[in-house]
Amino acid sequence: MDIQKENSMIKQKHMLAEQFIELSQVKETGKKVVYTFVPGNLTELIYAFDMLPVYPEINSLQSGMRQKSKEYIQEAEDMGYSEDVCSYVKCDIGMMLQGNIGPTGQQLPNPDILLLSYTGCFVFMKWFENLKQLYPNAEIAMLHIPYQESGKIEANAVKYIKDQLINEVIPTFEKVSGQKFDNDKLGEKMDLSAKAEELLIEIFDSAENTPSPIDAYFGGVYYIGPIFTAFRGSEDCLEYYQELLKEVNYRVANKLGPITPEGYMKEEKFRLVVEGPPNWTHFRGFWKLFYDMGAVFVGSTYTRVGGVYDDGFRHSSNDSIKSMAEYCLGCYTNRNIPQRIDLIESFITKYKANGFLVNSIKSCNSFSAGQLVMMRDLEERLEIPVGFIETDLVDPRYYSYSNIKNRLDSFFQMLDQRQSFNIGDDIVPDDVLT
Amino acid sequence: MEYTLGIDVGSSFIKIALIEYSDNPKIIEITNEKIRKRNPTILINKAVNDLLERHNLKYEELLYVASTGEGELVERKRGHFYSMTTHAKGAFHFHPETKTVVDMGALFCRVMSLESGSRVKNYAMTGQCASGSGQFLENITRYLGVTIDEVGPLSLESKEPAKLSGICAVLAETDVINMVSQGIATSDIIKGIHESIARRIVSLLSKLKVESPVALSGGMSQDVGLVEVIKQLADERNLSLEIFATKNCYANGAIGAALWGGYRHYKLLEVAQ
Repeated sequence: MDIQKENSMIKQKHMLAEQFIELSQVKETGKKVVYTFVPGNLTELIYAFDMLPVYPEINSLQSGMRQKSKEYIQEAEDMGYSEDVCSYVKCDIGMMLQGNIGPTGQQLPNPDILLLSYTGCFVFMKWFENLKQLYPNAEIAMLHIPYQESGKIEANAVKYIKDQLINEVIPTFEKVSGQKFDNDKLGEKMDLSAKAEELLIEIFDSAENTPSPIDAYFGGVYYIGPIFTAFRGSEDCLEYYQELLKEVNYRVANKLGPITPEGYMKEEKFRLVVEGPPNWTHFRGFWKLFYDMGAVFVGSTYTRVGGVYDDGFRHSSNDSIKSMAEYCLGCYTNRNIPQRIDLIESFITKYKANGFLVNSIKSCNSFSAGQLVMMRDLEERLEIPVGFIETDLVDPRYYSYSNIKNRLDSFFQMLDQRQSFNIGDDIVPDDVLT
Repeated sequence: MEYTLGIDVGSSFIKIALIEYSDNPKIIEITNEKIRKRNPTILINKAVNDLLERHNLKYEELLYVASTGEGELVERKRGHFYSMTTHAKGAFHFHPETKTVVDMGALFCRVMSLESGSRVKNYAMTGQCASGSGQFLENITRYLGVTIDEVGPLSLESKEPAKLSGICAVLAETDVINMVSQGIATSDIIKGIHESIARRIVSLLSKLKVESPVALSGGMSQDVGLVEVIKQLADERNLSLEIFATKNCYANGAIGAALWGGYRHYKLLEVAQ
């Protein structure tokens, strides 16, 4: 079944297709290619040097959605990677070993730069070490982001990142691209990003409405968030969010729920906030488990991995280098556990959620660490039902439908009983029991 | 006299409770059918017909027929109730002092804390791995060459419980196979398994900070060896919980469904008037 398409979705598809075409033509155009990661990405800077970004995590998740990840992971495991290694890594390595064919069927170009800018996940470092072996001619640029141990952005951390940007990253970009750093050009992109960030937050905050016009998890990763990382700093990105906001406002005005693969969500019964990435290999089926029950996600943490804008941060041309440093430091996975709990609490309160769910990822220790503590803490603070399920990013072997269903059944029973005193489906209204 | 029927469709057994419904309900009969490889819907229909025939009752004479568990497999019913709610009701009704219910089924174990009578306040479940489930225990009996009914008494005979992996059913099964070949006493292996399952349950009781007394429910509640080990481990962790299992508590889901059915029937009449 095809998902119902709105103009923004069609635009997104078009923009992504264009980008992959551009990537497939770098031999002709001479454009340089930067492989980098989503959390703490420097997209504006990459575009300021007229280079093109490639995100291995996104390639992996798209391979998962296209049912290709199983064979890619197998390829990497045959090479010697353990079953316990992050499935994004194995999927990416497997894809490269099989010819590096991207989601549109075109071959992705080799990297000219491996930009190791990352937050929160130390596997990234090993991942790029391995990519360096696959692509020995690529330059390495390392941007180390210190974890927010103190719970706030410290001035010395900002300086540390600025120094790395000025002394390592930008010189490497200049060397590979053959262009001198242009602060004004970067500033223009920063300003465009800031405008898009305003729209993004307005879209996320539309979940304050009842019914929520967006699903901030499945919709969040499917059509709200993806465009953000790859195209931040471009006019196209801004236009995309303007279009999307129009559609969201239409849904608000008409009291419509979010779009699911089966059209507008008919009834909003449960409003949930979720921690953790989704499962990509069974994306539609996983989503269906929720919308069939009338459950909509009004907030999610995974859509903040590429940047947190909820507390007012915006990219700024005032001091672009400093702004990039603050952006990297503020990403969700770079925050300490109490900060993450506070952020989730703010989602639950602001978006009037009545339940909190953790989707713990089997092969991702970085994201999963601390989730049980977070769950218990939020349960005590807010006295709301909490649920815990386990899946994986792109390794289909870890997806057990019955186990997930069993756990969600209990979670929904608890939500239903707490919310409406409902104790089951019947031919009669449940409120006769209350 | 008025009768209600509760049908609890589990993943391994179907439990059916026929209740004489009044201000003081009585259990008339409980049937327990193992699904094996049979069609559950056909099995339910036959079991219900046989039960009614034994008591000279017709389906139309029943006040309410309620399902719980995998209720969509029950063709003839008037309503469906959530399994947490029915297990709570079944346990609470005959023991109104109950504050906590542990449902120990074939696929998972689930702890529920109650408030305002049988209302479920909160819950916690065992993790995704099967090593905390009844099906796991049943699989192990095959390696040991004992029946499921022998498991409890054998566990009570154990002098030196074996140490097994408590985190993974596959690892635990490998441990058991290895222990059988080493000649470790069956009773010690069984108690080791009971300890591994009980540790998970006691951990849930602790995590949920439950109140006493704790009523056990579901199929594994009939395993006297497991019940004993749960009590021991809860004491070792100083949880100060009175934990009990009753004769019919394996069918608390079906009993609870039948009771909720009768209650709902009369509530509807009240509303209609």
